[in-house]
Amino acid sequence: MVGVVFVWPLAVSVAASFTRAGAPTLGNYTTVWRLYLRDVGYTLAVSAAGTALTFALAIVVCGWLRVRAFAPVEFLLKVPLFVPFVVVGHALRVFLVPWAPALAGSWGGLVLALAWKHLGLAALLLVGAFRAVDESHLEAARNFGAGTARLTRDVLVPMSAPSLAVSAVLIFSSMLASFSIPLMMSRGGGAQMLMIDVYYRFGQHGDFETAAALGVVGYLMAMGAALVYLQRLAPVKRP
Amino acid sequence: MLMRALVLLLVLVVPASAATRLNVAIGADVNVVEVHKTLLGPGFKAQTPDVELNVVGTGTGEPASRAIYTKIRAQADAGRAPWDIDVALVSMAVASQMVKEGLLLRYVPRLKNAALVKGAEVKEAFGVNVDGYVVPMFQNQIAIAYNPARVAAPPKSFDELTKWVAANPGKFGYNGIKGGVSGVGFTMGWVYWKTGLYKQLTQGPFDRGREGAIREAITALRDFNRNVLITNGNAGTLDALNRGEIAMGVVWIDQLVAWKNEGRMDPSITPVLPAPGLPIYPLYLVVPREAASKDAAVRYIDYIATPEVQAKAIVERFGWYPGVDPDKVLPLISAKSRELLFKGVSAEDLARYSRQMPIKEYHDLIALAYEEIVR
Repeated sequence: MVGVVFVWPLAVSVAASFTRAGAPTLGNYTTVWRLYLRDVGYTLAVSAAGTALTFALAIVVCGWLRVRAFAPVEFLLKVPLFVPFVVVGHALRVFLVPWAPALAGSWGGLVLALAWKHLGLAALLLVGAFRAVDESHLEAARNFGAGTARLTRDVLVPMSAPSLAVSAVLIFSSMLASFSIPLMMSRGGGAQMLMIDVYYRFGQHGDFETAAALGVVGYLMAMGAALVYLQRLAPVKRP
Repeated sequence: MLMRALVLLLVLVVPASAATRLNVAIGADVNVVEVHKTLLGPGFKAQTPDVELNVVGTGTGEPASRAIYTKIRAQADAGRAPWDIDVALVSMAVASQMVKEGLLLRYVPRLKNAALVKGAEVKEAFGVNVDGYVVPMFQNQIAIAYNPARVAAPPKSFDELTKWVAANPGKFGYNGIKGGVSGVGFTMGWVYWKTGLYKQLTQGPFDRGREGAIREAITALRDFNRNVLITNGNAGTLDALNRGEIAMGVVWIDQLVAWKNEGRMDPSITPVLPAPGLPIYPLYLVVPREAASKDAAVRYIDYIATPEVQAKAIVERFGWYPGVDPDKVLPLISAKSRELLFKGVSAEDLARYSRQMPIKEYHDLIALAYEEIVR
């Protein structure tokens, strides 16, 4: 079953990326190198900045929520989970255009929209991870006079590091693969997110092969993030 | 297996009704789908009660036509007939590819209105001989729309346009080549102007020796773009015009007219067609080679090609230019529709400055140069 629904389509698209008009070639990757290298860098940078912004916000708010539980704020924080990607892109664009038109179409606007959308997922994962930290650790730190910020920085974050790493990989991969938000937010020129390029190659040129090669580059980027995470999780051998 | 049996059963049961089912796939926006559902379909059914129309939209822009192509290509590759699309409305690029790959029926000679299907665009598209395979449902012209309150003298030529843009940085917008066909058309118009190779680029044969001139033209476009706002699509340009972010932009005339009709657009925004012109881009009605209901499909397209239907549904209702012989259609439209249709861009302008798209090899070369140089 897994073979049919996952491995087979993946293998077909990887194989397509190495062919053109039925003949084997590396030409599609040459096209990616020549035309889309900048977009690969842009996609990595936007996703990294988006993940960083999401965590910068989520760690502060979730730390506060762990220390002083407040249900309405927790609920509000999770709202973005239920808002479709297209709606987020459209809403942020409509919101930004009147007072910051340059930001709406820039990488900054895109990072903001991606962070907004992923805040819900980050909150879900982080609040759970922080709640798994035993209360006794927090109490001990409080006894030494630690406030909410200190508790978050010195107790909650270090003790939840593995969960934070999982969340970061999930959110980073989701941002790498984002399509609707960049489509709604971007201008028709300049650097683009990689999924927009996939759509352009297929939609405007009917060029499945280069689209497949871009897709493979996308898999590799997401797998790179996953490998970094797995390496961190590997048991450390002690002498 | 059970699912497959159920699907097969459904397929067998649906056509069992007395009426012929006509599957119409529309590779265009919802407004075009609506014309078929609410106007053309019922009008045709009044004449031909034994045909049931099933109209499906496949999205917007080039990918919508591409989706229709992908489906028909898959059915052809599977070697099963008949195919389940009887009439399709597709872009020039996709229609020419389908003719080249032998996926379409040469049906135009069977139309009563065959003599009205005329013009360069029904003979050749992107260098492919499409004669007999296509009927334009309507013609759509790319033009430059401007706000008369902010542009005293609209540009009559690309030369004047570049001067205006240099004097008014950031006040001219278009959507590049990734945001829709109006931007692609503007790029082609720019290359025609800069290279002076309109005839060679549209009629071929392909000569790689012209690459230098094309790249030079695109390099000039890169410099021009430094003072231009690149919007995120056809609608994005209209939106920027409406909000006053830009004073001039590249638009589809039909979309401009439609937005004005719906009250979504400043009514004073006017189109102009500068010399040496911009491309006209028809959407073609085609019949797949192995369509199940070929006869009904041909009769439906014949109905759409009737001058009266073209005048009422295509021109008056939607502000599109007629798909078939304008000399037979335009005398049938009201004075008010005529004024709206030709405001800013006259019939003479269209005759002089409507340009064809280049042949596919040049089109791809220009798009590639744009991606490499303008970025």
